[in-house]
Amino acid sequence: MYRPFLALRYLLSRPINLLGVLGVSLGVWAMIVVVSIFSGFLRVVGEHVRSASADVSVLQLEDARYGELRRAIEADENVAATAPRLVHYGLLHRPDESPPPPPLLGRGALQGGDTPFLFLLGVDPERERATTGFAGWLQAVDGERRVADAEHPFARIDGLPVVVLGEDRMIAGGLHRGDRVVLHTGRLERGADGGRALVQVTRRDAAGNAISPVFAVAGAYRTQHVGYDGNNAFVHIDELRALLDLPADAVQEIAVKVVDRATTAATAERVARTVRRLQGYGNVTESRGGPVALSWRERHQAFLDSVEWQRGLMKLVLIIIMAAAVLLMVATLSMMVTEKTADIGILTALGGSPRGVMTVFLSCGLAITIVGIALGLIGGSLSAVYLDEFRRFVRAISGIDLFPVKVYNLDRVPHELDPWWMLQVAGIALLVGAVVSALPAWRAARHDPLVSLRGS
Amino acid sequence: MSAPVLSADRVTKSFWLGKREIPILRGIDLQVAPGEMVALLGASGAGKSTLLHVLGLLDAPTGGAVNYDGRPVHDLSVVERARLRHQHVGFVFQFYHLIPELTALQNVTLARMMQCSVLQYWRERGAVRTAATTLLDEVGLGQRLQHRPAELSGGERQRVAIARALLAQPRVILADEPTGNLDSDTANGVMDLLFRINRERQLAFLLVTHNEEVARRCHRTVRLKDGVVVG
Repeated sequence: MYRPFLALRYLLSRPINLLGVLGVSLGVWAMIVVVSIFSGFLRVVGEHVRSASADVSVLQLEDARYGELRRAIEADENVAATAPRLVHYGLLHRPDESPPPPPLLGRGALQGGDTPFLFLLGVDPERERATTGFAGWLQAVDGERRVADAEHPFARIDGLPVVVLGEDRMIAGGLHRGDRVVLHTGRLERGADGGRALVQVTRRDAAGNAISPVFAVAGAYRTQHVGYDGNNAFVHIDELRALLDLPADAVQEIAVKVVDRATTAATAERVARTVRRLQGYGNVTESRGGPVALSWRERHQAFLDSVEWQRGLMKLVLIIIMAAAVLLMVATLSMMVTEKTADIGILTALGGSPRGVMTVFLSCGLAITIVGIALGLIGGSLSAVYLDEFRRFVRAISGIDLFPVKVYNLDRVPHELDPWWMLQVAGIALLVGAVVSALPAWRAARHDPLVSLRGS
Repeated sequence: MSAPVLSADRVTKSFWLGKREIPILRGIDLQVAPGEMVALLGASGAGKSTLLHVLGLLDAPTGGAVNYDGRPVHDLSVVERARLRHQHVGFVFQFYHLIPELTALQNVTLARMMQCSVLQYWRERGAVRTAATTLLDEVGLGQRLQHRPAELSGGERQRVAIARALLAQPRVILADEPTGNLDSDTANGVMDLLFRINRERQLAFLLVTHNEEVARRCHRTVRLKDGVVVG
């Protein structure tokens, strides 16, 4: 009985023990809050990427025909719809401007729209609507930049083919619906000598002169995926086929919508096998190259992994910080043991064993750890949940935005409390607390009681 | 005749200073009978406190035997010695050694807590508090139950220490200069209390003192000189 009784008395009578509690709770708090934000960020970013992607994408198609592939792919029981795509590239600029300079290295990866280079996606609006979130992307834009007729977004304007730009790029370029833009692009053509050369893609004007193709801006689209809108523009697939002299049914990518999203990866594997068989390739594992089918997660694996990796690194750093914070407890407990040497003597004289004395001080350390963990978990959970409110409050009174969420196309600071992670944090803190408490407790147990009984 | 409540049989104790052996006790024979009050006299460094610690199982003898009620106890395990120390012996020290965070009542009840589990103490807590209150009342501190050591005088602190030593109902009290830190009036009061307890409870005492007058009031005096009983 004396062990918990004395431990409690020692704890309550020494305010400096609050320093140990503070250290533990700060460490736990930081681990909960930071990892919760990272987890929330990972979830939201995943959702954003997901919203701008097809469930499964068939890539690396060469000389492929959509009709044949469509029938085979849609025969899969988990495939709901498919959409053909052509993927090209180019520089877009106003007719009265020179082509912009090439982008600076390292820019444009995050926000998009700040480099002149973009991907030109040729899509079939009907099939795209049935397969991806295309219709929603068009509806997401309000005001004058919205496409005039969402049912027919690629209807020609003044006889010109149209392009649908990402809203970011449309704003950055100061463009309006109906404005003209010139596309500078090229394609590889086999020359007379059998070699391949990059040839500029042109159209013939009324006078028969070769000119860069001109498009009218039909309006804008908006996804939630940071970077996507600024770097991708849509045109009708038939316009792009004509521009690139491709056959009527030519396709470079196929977007696939699945019925059951839980089995997307398995569906992607089946689709890959089907497409490779039709294209005359073996299994992916058997031969390199040729078409592949990737789930949306696989297609963005590198990006999602990089965020996940940052979260893992942050966990490691925070664990080290927490261990350092817990070391505060060693200092306070060591001071306590030094102050209590006389008590150790009398406890021994009253019948206390070294193990009993050790338990008193170990209980102090564990109590500090447990209270610190509890406060850290509660504080961390509340901070994570109400962090956005705190951000708004600070911004309202000081004008300073602690977490500029718009950079990541977010509405609020994301969070996701993971009970398993919280359990891990509590377990790690308890383990570290027990280990560091054991050192001064062990010193107390080894203290010669006669020294303190004689010493006063 | 009943067995001595406490006895030392050719007890020796040495300390080592590097490779040099420093003998402190050189073959002590001593018996304390039930209800007997024995004064242990000797100059500083004679080995009085060391003998008390060895007899109280706080320290192990280098040679010889320590017996409680005729049973050898000096070579028991650490845990058994701790348990026996609680059951058989009560300590009163010159510097009181009270726990400063606890009240007088809690300092006394602590003696019972030492041997109880949480559940056991919870069941007995009423009886333990009553016994501790009675003891504190008996030593004249009935009105000072909730005072902490810092709020008590030296004499009052020593009375709390005496009450604490009595709570476990030991067979013998080992008192190491219990009045050495008190003024003479207070010291007389404390000694009167110890003699009264000895008389009323028939409790054995081994009392280390420098005071010849106190020694004369005891039933028997043992004199130590250079680790040897000389009278």
